[in-house]
Amino acid sequence: MALILLPLVFSLVAWFIPSNITRIYGLIASAAALVVSSVAVCYFEPSEHLLIDFGLRFVRFSIDSLGFTMILLTNAVFFLVFLSNFKRSITNEKRFTALALLMQFGLLGVFTTNTILGFYIFWELTLLPIFLILYWFGSFDKPRALLQFFLYTLLGSLAMLLSVIGLMHATNQQTYEALLAADLSSLGNTSIFLMGGFLLAFAVKIPLFPFHTWQAETYTKAPTAGTMLLSAIMLKMALFGLLKWVLPIFDGVATDFWRWPIITLGIIGVVYGAVVAIRQQDLKTLFAYASLSHLGLIAAALMLNNFDTNQIAVVQIVNHSIVSIGLFLAAGIIEQRLGTRELGQLGGIAKVAPRFAFWFAVLTFVSLSVPFTAGFIGEFFLIKALFSANALTGFLASTTLVLGAVYMLKAYQAPMFGPTINATFEDLHWSEIAVFAILSIAAIYLGLAPQCLTDFVAHSLTQPTH
Amino acid sequence: MAKDLTLLLIIALPLLGFAINGLFGKKLPKTIVGGIATAVVFVSFLLATTLFSGLHGTQIVKLFNIINFDQLQINASFQIDALSIWMTLIITGIGSLIHLFSMGYMSHDEGYHKFFTYLNLFIFSMLLLVLGSNYFVLFFGWEGVGMCSYLLISFHYNDAQKGLANSLAGRKAFIMNRIGDVGLLLALFMILGQFNTLEFLSIGKALQGDTTLQGGAMFFITFCLFIAATGKSAQIPLFTWLPDAMAGPTPVSALIHAATMVTAGIYLTVRSNFLFELAPFTKDIILYVGLATTLVAAFMALRQNDIKKVLAYSTVSQLGLMFVALGFGAYTVALFHVTTHAFFKALLFLGSGSVIHGMHEEQDIRKMGGLAKLMPLTHLTFLIGTMAISGIPFLSGFFSKDEIMAQALHHNPAVYAILVLAVTMTAIYMFRLYFLTFHGAFRGGDTLKSKVHESGLSMTLPLIVLAVLSVFGGLLNLPGLFFKNAAHWFDHYLSHGTFGLSEVHNAHLDFSTSIGLMLFASIIAVGVMIWAYLNYAKKGALAKEDAALNGWERLSAQKLYIDEIYNTVFVKPLLALSDFVGKVVDVQLLRNGVYALADGILNTANLTRKWQTGFLSSYLFWMVFGLIIFVAYYLLKLSVWH
Repeated sequence: MALILLPLVFSLVAWFIPSNITRIYGLIASAAALVVSSVAVCYFEPSEHLLIDFGLRFVRFSIDSLGFTMILLTNAVFFLVFLSNFKRSITNEKRFTALALLMQFGLLGVFTTNTILGFYIFWELTLLPIFLILYWFGSFDKPRALLQFFLYTLLGSLAMLLSVIGLMHATNQQTYEALLAADLSSLGNTSIFLMGGFLLAFAVKIPLFPFHTWQAETYTKAPTAGTMLLSAIMLKMALFGLLKWVLPIFDGVATDFWRWPIITLGIIGVVYGAVVAIRQQDLKTLFAYASLSHLGLIAAALMLNNFDTNQIAVVQIVNHSIVSIGLFLAAGIIEQRLGTRELGQLGGIAKVAPRFAFWFAVLTFVSLSVPFTAGFIGEFFLIKALFSANALTGFLASTTLVLGAVYMLKAYQAPMFGPTINATFEDLHWSEIAVFAILSIAAIYLGLAPQCLTDFVAHSLTQPTH
Repeated sequence: MAKDLTLLLIIALPLLGFAINGLFGKKLPKTIVGGIATAVVFVSFLLATTLFSGLHGTQIVKLFNIINFDQLQINASFQIDALSIWMTLIITGIGSLIHLFSMGYMSHDEGYHKFFTYLNLFIFSMLLLVLGSNYFVLFFGWEGVGMCSYLLISFHYNDAQKGLANSLAGRKAFIMNRIGDVGLLLALFMILGQFNTLEFLSIGKALQGDTTLQGGAMFFITFCLFIAATGKSAQIPLFTWLPDAMAGPTPVSALIHAATMVTAGIYLTVRSNFLFELAPFTKDIILYVGLATTLVAAFMALRQNDIKKVLAYSTVSQLGLMFVALGFGAYTVALFHVTTHAFFKALLFLGSGSVIHGMHEEQDIRKMGGLAKLMPLTHLTFLIGTMAISGIPFLSGFFSKDEIMAQALHHNPAVYAILVLAVTMTAIYMFRLYFLTFHGAFRGGDTLKSKVHESGLSMTLPLIVLAVLSVFGGLLNLPGLFFKNAAHWFDHYLSHGTFGLSEVHNAHLDFSTSIGLMLFASIIAVGVMIWAYLNYAKKGALAKEDAALNGWERLSAQKLYIDEIYNTVFVKPLLALSDFVGKVVDVQLLRNGVYALADGILNTANLTRKWQTGFLSSYLFWMVFGLIIFVAYYLLKLSVWH
């Protein structure tokens, strides 16, 4: 239980910490959560559930191997976000530290709750801190951009709430196990609507084409730490919800109904995001569209609801977190040092900042899914699954190999190579090197031994009946 | 030493070199960095020779399990057989010579340790590619060498003049290779769909017992494999990256873009021979693509003035020749040419590197001339390389080309006729290059002339070794005419030790045709040599300036405007599409649509004025407030239900 509550406590304490040690506090708090969860995982038997029940109706938690993976990912992401922003003023803000830790608590709740209503509540709980982080620390010149994000999310949440209530009403059940056992076939078309509500919320969050228009603008205007949190962990809630809750519960008529529409949107996103990314001039916007492309692939493959593919999807989810922290950190570093992210105003950084050039290159290759990185395994098997379901889908998904190379190499080469425009560039701080190194090691480890993760999560993935 | 341990060491050593130089190279002295990098590859070579001499049948070495699903298992496993060990010998053998050469060539370079780190990583990836026992490990290596190629082409991205061009060349190579990789990816998916395994041997054995798998499926699989091959091995339509890849340091051109990586497509086809044998239509496509490539590239080489560009187009052309052999199903013949080509093309590239090094980075042959006296060793070895590639009798290239020509004559005389044309052009551009570089008067000015010097031992030693190999490489596979017992050693070696190849037989011509063929080829090669000598050395003809070129010469110099055509047909439309989708569809249509919707909702609400306080915090406050009420309400309500 301490596993989940720790960030909440830290968050509350954060308000009473003197400002001059806030950044150290944030770092230590997130490190503590990471250490606790890492130790806990050592004592965890992957084939079992860790049930936390207070005898209260709606407050029940259960941690299985997938949940544990997500807990570790969450805690790692928050630690890395604090670490990578160590040199930025944002971590000196009490408000940021407290909100981020509160958000961490919300996310852990989402990943461990055992009741469907709990899932919804924690889902909503994560929104409040991120809104405030964006509002206080972002550079939204017009409220409209933030409002867009807000409206989209609200729309999705509303749809999900209706579905949650509908599902509980229809089955008269609310725990995960009971919902899994419930027979939805008698619901007929109602189950399609119920699933649709969830899918709408997820489609906004992931995001899927055409619900993505909030993404580029929000990512661009958000502070680097906010973008990292959004991209590296928040939108994983939707993929997690799909994998853990919606697909197993609605396995059958509803999943069959939604499978190809969602795959189609996902694949459109893969190609669309990549094509749009090619000509983006703002580094963050470019990475935002790249993210649209990468996540479309995961979402599409998940919809196949295939036991093997689901395991690989988890690898790819982790990989995407690695990539997005790394790339947005790189963009943030450039922005912090030079005050711009416009590719046209950058050039020749590699000459003056060789360490940054090296680590940015490593992360670029990780995002290009070269061999020995997690993405290589992930992309191969996800596209393979789509290809065996439908050759055209697989082919379209595989264009990401080429288009990804086009926009990523541009994103790397334009600021780093070429004529020197920026003669001074402060090279990496130790905290930034540490982040890049941790990310790279994680990506390479998963690329060589994906088995350790797939076997671990396989315990909690249900074998689909079809 | 046990075979499997030896094999793992062969692969691990370059990785070790990569790790040492990558981690500590910056602090170590240059000789140690280069020494370690060269030594690991050379020891790998020595170990490979022990495997070679003890080769007996096919052996699989399983290292670990990469992925293990219910229905699919993919292992990191390796295969020792005639083909993989032969490729290993080429890669590590020529690789160590080129490492040695680089110690001299790169001695003044700031990125010395980085260079050797990449080079070792390349050798490691290339070994994975040829030693893997399944397509997945091959794909690992395949992508890996592509990445190393990118890193090494754009190695001098900081160069004041050429930095930008270098990095763009690297990008072009990477992207074009990736197009080919999509082909490989799709082929792998189809193979998995058909056979549910990626192991070469399992697929081959499944096909032996099953004759139903011909036709459509086999065509698509092999066609996609061939697309992959056109990417790596620079065939039409994906060949334009290779000449640009000359932006990399010259040892890289010799190792990656001549001797090893670019032959990966040929290796892939030979390895998959049991698939291609069931897809005659794909083989025809290979034949004609190879034929077109060899001819077009040879034509483009005729009027290039950059010493490395001539060699680059020549490589494309020679690779095309190898694909012609593959198109006829003459796998061992193709691999024989891979081998001899590795010898003489590595020699020529290193020779050109020695010239460029001696000429202080000048690559334009219009500024050279008379280097024979200034760089005698380089001159002699370059001459041997030129003679070998041009097919002067009894040098290695003569024998390997002759085999391909014989296959062509046997299967299709029209193809043979076109090959004669291509081979003649090869001799023409090579001797033009040789005479313009090494004979006549020096055209680079007196200041440069006084600085030109012969290269040091670490550079000339590899040249000598490669020159010897280029002369005697033909002994590997002597024709059956005169050497009854010693003949066709290579064919036997390969076809008896490689799965599938024992069932494929090369065509053999009768005695008089064979003699006639060789005589004719000799006459062409020697004739061109004499003509070139008279024209360039005696008469003193020079390379024309761009303005003086006539019609066909301009076409050749401008590479048939292929780059411009690709730019217009593919690149610009893609950029325009990106602009359109990004600016019009995404921003104007979708995003502004959402804005309009949001504004509409807000404006029609009765409380418009109160709501639009302009402060987002109040929006947020109301949102959160509303949500809390909402949730609280349902919590209560649901509690009542239960």
